[in-house]
Amino acid sequence: MKHKEVRLLAIALVVTIFALGGCDSSPSDKDADEMVLRHALFTKLKGLDPGNMRDFYSVTVASQICETLYQYHFLKRPYEIIPLLAKEMPEISDDFLTYTIKIKKGVYFQDDKCFPGGRGRELKAEDFIFAIKRIADIKYLSQNWSMFDGKIVGLDEFREYTKSCEKPEDVDYSRKVEGLTAGDDYTLVIKLKKPWPQLVSTALADIATAPIAKEAVYSYGKDIVSHPVGTGPFMLKEWRRGSYVELVRNPKFRGEPYPSQGGPGDAEAGYLDDAGKIMPFADRVIWTIIEEYQPAWLLFLQGKIDNSPIPKDNYNEAITETRDLTPAMKQRNIRLKKFTDPSTFWLGFNMLDPVLGENKPLRRAISYAIDREKFIEIFFNGRHLVAHGFVAPLMDSYNPNIKEKGYARYDPVKARELLKEAEQIHGGKLPELKMAMPGTNSFNRQLGQFLKRYITAIGLDVEVEYMDWPTYMEKVNSRSVQMFSSGARASIPDAEDFMGMFYSKYWAPGSNRFNYRNPEFDKLYEKIEVMFDSPRRKELYRKMELIALEDCPAAFLNHRVVFALHHDWYKNYKPHAFAYGMSKYRRIDMKKRAEYKELLKKIK
Amino acid sequence: MTAYIIRRLLYTIPIVFGVLLLTFVLFTLIGGDISLEIAGKGATQETIDDIRREYGLNKPLFLAWDSQFINHFKSALTFDFGRSRDRELIIDKIKRGVGPSLALTVPMFFCVVIISVSLALVVAFVRGSVWDTLAVFICVAGMSIPYLSFILFGQYFLAYKWGIFPVFFSPDLTMAQYVALPVLIGIVAGLGGNLRFYRTVMLDEMRSDYVRTAFAKGLNTRRVLFKHVLKNAMIPIITRVVLAIPFLFLGSLLLERFFGIPGLGHMMIEAIGSRDYFVINAMTYISAILFVLFNLITDICYSLVDPRISLE
Repeated sequence: MKHKEVRLLAIALVVTIFALGGCDSSPSDKDADEMVLRHALFTKLKGLDPGNMRDFYSVTVASQICETLYQYHFLKRPYEIIPLLAKEMPEISDDFLTYTIKIKKGVYFQDDKCFPGGRGRELKAEDFIFAIKRIADIKYLSQNWSMFDGKIVGLDEFREYTKSCEKPEDVDYSRKVEGLTAGDDYTLVIKLKKPWPQLVSTALADIATAPIAKEAVYSYGKDIVSHPVGTGPFMLKEWRRGSYVELVRNPKFRGEPYPSQGGPGDAEAGYLDDAGKIMPFADRVIWTIIEEYQPAWLLFLQGKIDNSPIPKDNYNEAITETRDLTPAMKQRNIRLKKFTDPSTFWLGFNMLDPVLGENKPLRRAISYAIDREKFIEIFFNGRHLVAHGFVAPLMDSYNPNIKEKGYARYDPVKARELLKEAEQIHGGKLPELKMAMPGTNSFNRQLGQFLKRYITAIGLDVEVEYMDWPTYMEKVNSRSVQMFSSGARASIPDAEDFMGMFYSKYWAPGSNRFNYRNPEFDKLYEKIEVMFDSPRRKELYRKMELIALEDCPAAFLNHRVVFALHHDWYKNYKPHAFAYGMSKYRRIDMKKRAEYKELLKKIK
Repeated sequence: MTAYIIRRLLYTIPIVFGVLLLTFVLFTLIGGDISLEIAGKGATQETIDDIRREYGLNKPLFLAWDSQFINHFKSALTFDFGRSRDRELIIDKIKRGVGPSLALTVPMFFCVVIISVSLALVVAFVRGSVWDTLAVFICVAGMSIPYLSFILFGQYFLAYKWGIFPVFFSPDLTMAQYVALPVLIGIVAGLGGNLRFYRTVMLDEMRSDYVRTAFAKGLNTRRVLFKHVLKNAMIPIITRVVLAIPFLFLGSLLLERFFGIPGLGHMMIEAIGSRDYFVINAMTYISAILFVLFNLITDICYSLVDPRISLE
C-alpha cells in the first residue's frame, strides 16, 4: 500500500513537471500572421530615455522609438550622413559658427496618454532645444553632457543656472539659451562658440539629441526611462525589465522609403530588393535578454531568434578553418556576415607612472614582447586583426602602410635589448609592474595570464590585478594604475574619437586614460578639432597617429572583426558599424521561416 | 511566549542597525565613489563634482544630522529605498522580481525537502544494504557535480535536443512553463546534499533506544518511522528548513541567469557588479529582517515539536 502511494506521488511529480514544460510552443507558431523580429540582448537595458544613455543595448532599442535629425545611410560605404527628421543637410554660416536646420513637417509623436486626448502632437524645432537643454540640466545628470561642454553659446550658463535650482521641477526650460533658438516651428538654429565640424555626426545623429515629447517628460517624471515617447517607426508595448522588451509598429509613423541606392554588390546581395518600399516592414520587434551564450545559441539553432553572434565555445561548430560556414550551418540555411568593427584594444601605460612614464625603451620593450598573432588566434579564433596603430581600419584616415612601421611587431630579441636600455635609464633592475584587468571573469583571467607570460618571458616581473569594472574605472580615472587592459570603439566614422584619447586636456577621468602629453600632438589636435573633412585633415590624422605611436603610450593589440550569423529568412541584414534604428529596414521572409520547422525535423 | 517574542523582536533593533552600518561602511567607505561612472565618458572633474553634490556624496559621512549615514538609516527605516542606478524605484524592482524568484525557489525547495526527507527515512531504515550504499554513492556524485553542469546538461538535452521544455524564457510562455525545467534541475542538483544530511539525522535517531523499544513492542515500521523517528528528527530538520526560507527570497542566481527568469538573485548580483549601492542596501536590509524573523519562527517551532523546550 505505502509503496504504491509513494510510487504514485513520484509519478505525479514527474508528470506535473514534464506537463508544465512540455508545452514548448515555438514562437514561430504564433508569428504566422505577424512579421515579428526576434533578437537577443546580452545585457539588461538601463533605460529608454535617449537623453541619458550611452550603452550599446539601450541605444539599440531606443533608436527604434526615437529618431535623430540625421542618420547614416543604411547601405552606402563609406558611411554617409543623411537627413532623418531634418529636411536637408544643415545650412552652415561662413564663419562655421551658425547651423540652420530645417525640420520635416508632418512628423508626429507616437500616441500616448501624456497628450491631451492621447493623440501625439506634431514635432517642432522647440523639441530639439528641449532635448539639448535636458542634457545640460545638472538635475537630470545626463551622461552626455561632455558632448556639449563648452560648445554652444549660452548652454554652459544654462547648466550653471540649473545648479542653483533646488529641485528638478524648479528648472525653467523656457529660459533662453542664445545658441539654441527656433527660427519658426520648423527651423532650428544652433550657434557655436567655436567651429565644431563634428556637430552633425557627434551630436545631431546621436540618440542623445533625439526629441522625446516634453509632455511625456513632465507626465512620467523619473519614470520617463520606461515611457519613451518619440517619433520613430516603433513604439514601446512592454518592457519587462531584465526579461524582454517588445515594440510594436507605430501606426502614426509617416513611413519612409527603403533606400534605392547602395554600394557595390548590394543589388547582387539582395539588399536592394525592397528599394522604394515603405518602411517599417515588421509588425513587432522582441528582444529577449539572454546574458549567457549557451541559451542564446540554442535558441538561434531552434529558429527562435533571427540572428546571433558566434559564441567562442561554438565557433568550431559554426565556422571552418577557411573561415566559412560549416556544412551543419549551411544545411540549416544559416548565413554568415563578416565586418570590421571600428574598435581598437590595447595594453595601456600610465604615462604619469614614475617607472613607465619616463622610460620609453621599457614601454617599447613590452610592446615588442607581445605576440599579437598568437593572442588573436587563442582568444578570437584568429578572427580579429592585428592593431599596428590605434586608428581602426574602417576609418577613412586609416593608414594603409601602418604595418610597415613595425610598432606591433613581435620581436622578443629586440624587446630584451630595449629592456637593458630601460634598466640603464631606471638605474638598476626594474621593479615588478602591475597590470590592471577590467574584470574577474575567465576571459580577463586568461588574457591577464597570456600578457603576463609574454612580458615575463623578456625578463620583467608582472603582477596581474583582476578587479571589478567599477574598481578598475576608479583606478584608471584616478590615474593610479600602471598598465591596464582596455579598448575603445569609435562612435562616429571619423578618427577624431581616437585622436582625442591622446590629447593632454582630456587626461583621466577624460578619454586620455594614458595621461599622455606631447605638445606637438596637442597643437595638431587643436588644429584638426575645428577642421572640416579634407585630404589635409586626413594627412594630419596620420601624422598625429605616428607621433603617438613613436612615444608608445600603449601596446596596441587588435581590431575587432565581427562574425555574425542569421537565418536566411532575416532580410536586409547588412552589417552597419553605427547601427541606430535598424529594425525598420529588416524584413522576414515568412514562408522561409515557416519552412525551418520542417527542416529541423528532417535534420533531427 | 508573548514576552519572549517581544523581547526577541527588540533584539532585532541592534542587529538591523549593525547591518545598516556594515553595508554603509562597505559600500561607501571601501567601495569608493560612484560619481565617476555616472559622469560617463570624457567627463570633466567639474561634472564629477556636480554629480557628487547632486547625490549628496559631498555631505559628511557620519557626524551631522544631514550626514550620509543618517540619510541611509532614515531611508531604510521608512522602506523608502529610492531609485536604483537605472532610475527605477527599488521597491518596484523588488516587487517585480520576488514573484519569479519565489516561483522558482519555493517549489524547488519544498520538493527537495519532502523528497530527501522521505528518501532519508527509507535509506536509513535499510542502512547497510545495497540500496543504502547506492543512495550514498548517488548523493556524493550529485554533490560533486558542479551546479552549472546540471544546468548545461538539462538545457541542452531536455530542452534543446528532446524539446520537452523551453530552452529559455519567452513572453509567449506562462510562468509555469518557463520555470518547470529550472525547478527540475534545482531538485535534482539539490537532492544529493540534502539526502545525505537527512540520512545522517535519521541514522542518529534509528540507533536510539526508543526505536529498538518501539520495534520490540511490536509497532509496525510505518508507525516507528513516521510517528517516532521523524518526530524526533524534527529539530535539525526545522533548523535547516526554516532558516533556509528567508534565502528563498533571494532566488537562484545561476538558474535565473541561464533560463531568463527575472528574479531577485540575478538582480542582486548585478547590483553588486555595477555597485548599485541603493539596491544592495535594500536587499541586504530586507534579507536581514527576514532572517531575524525566521530565526524567531525556528525557536517557536522548536517548542511546538518538542515539549521539553520552553521559551523563556
